[in-house]
Amino acid sequence: MPRILSITDERKRDAQIELRSPTRGEPMRWISRADRAQLKLERLVKATEKTSLDALTRALGTPEAIAKALIDGDPEIDLEQVGRRLGQATRVWVGATGQILYAARVLSVVTAPDGTEKSRTDFVDVEATLGEDQPPLPWSGRLLAASEVVRKFALVRKQQLRHVNGLTFDFLFDIARTLEKSEQMLVVGAGPRAQKRLIFQTNGAAFNGFLEGRTRGDTYLLVLHLSNLELKRVGGKPSAP
Amino acid sequence: MARSIVVRLGDEESTFGFTKVEREKLYGKKDRVIVDETGRECDAAWLTPDGAVLVPMGGTAHLWMDERWDAREQTDRVAVDPAGEPLQPNPSTLGVVQTLREVDAPRVLEIVTNGVYQLEPEAVGTTLADALKAGRMFELPFAYRDGAYRDGYENDVAILVANDEGMFALVGRPSGFAFVSRDVIVSDEPLGPDELDGDLDFGVI
Repeated sequence: MPRILSITDERKRDAQIELRSPTRGEPMRWISRADRAQLKLERLVKATEKTSLDALTRALGTPEAIAKALIDGDPEIDLEQVGRRLGQATRVWVGATGQILYAARVLSVVTAPDGTEKSRTDFVDVEATLGEDQPPLPWSGRLLAASEVVRKFALVRKQQLRHVNGLTFDFLFDIARTLEKSEQMLVVGAGPRAQKRLIFQTNGAAFNGFLEGRTRGDTYLLVLHLSNLELKRVGGKPSAP
Repeated sequence: MARSIVVRLGDEESTFGFTKVEREKLYGKKDRVIVDETGRECDAAWLTPDGAVLVPMGGTAHLWMDERWDAREQTDRVAVDPAGEPLQPNPSTLGVVQTLREVDAPRVLEIVTNGVYQLEPEAVGTTLADALKAGRMFELPFAYRDGAYRDGYENDVAILVANDEGMFALVGRPSGFAFVSRDVIVSDEPLGPDELDGDLDFGVI
């Protein structure tokens, strides 16, 4: 399903529109070189919790006992389960004795770029800042030249804004034409003053948004460019070109 | 041995070493850590859909299987296009001279960046250095390693840009977005995968 969200234009009118991710080309397939049989990469069970080193250590006690068990038999192989397809497995957390945790504490650990731990606090969900149920994205009025944006930010995601009916076609076409005439990109943010970063789902990545508009005859192209990375050097001295 | 990005602009060749720029290196990171009642960090595991098996991390293996559920060797496989024609693996562009093409901002905006490298100039021609300093941008074909297949997308490209911080190569692929007209029945068009779905980021600070 495409994402739906509301945006506001320069005249403070808002409308619901659709967001689309880039389309991908036809995927390639893998076949056997020998007999051209279709091949598929499958994720299979190799070991289970019952036969893990931790479980064997708990059961047998010493490394010597484990070594003897390995010589005498195959305690590390769960013959009933090995080779089984993992399928749509659920991620769980296990305690010290290998049991599933039904209540756990979730911490948020912040680490500095040099690897030192800065803080350790209880994890708090970060809510989405835009979406179908959120207020319309405001028109920030902040414009930046495209040549400046592409030289300052890595634009790591793109979403195309598309109309859902005739009225929203006119709405988006006008926005595209406005931006094209200005030869600039609109800085897009969430919240009443467009100052919050764009988060598309709970605990999702936070992005800076830049809206680009182009028109060609009676058609338009509106793309929301997303960035969570500035073009900055990692350590070391600046290297002027 | 570290390989370089080698480019040609006019008659001049330039060579750059490069280092990947990642969020973690610039901003640090924020991890979710699960602890039990004693404060001990817990391990993740997979529980199969029927609830019968608990698989620890590292307890799975990827295998190439055929339709009869027989495992095949990695070396037995070959990539083909939708028509069944074998695909040719691309050679790496590193260490091989690539001709630069000047591009404008709209072209750069078409590229979805999937990697950023900071460039360490080893030998840079004056024409290229002056052009980058003046804000001009250049495109070149880019393949990091040998053997990557063309998989129905256009090949990766790299865009060379410079700012006050230094010179960078932005690696990515065109988004393929097309202009839309009034008559396009949007909901009937095939959907691409939702790029933002599952784009969870606990590294946001």
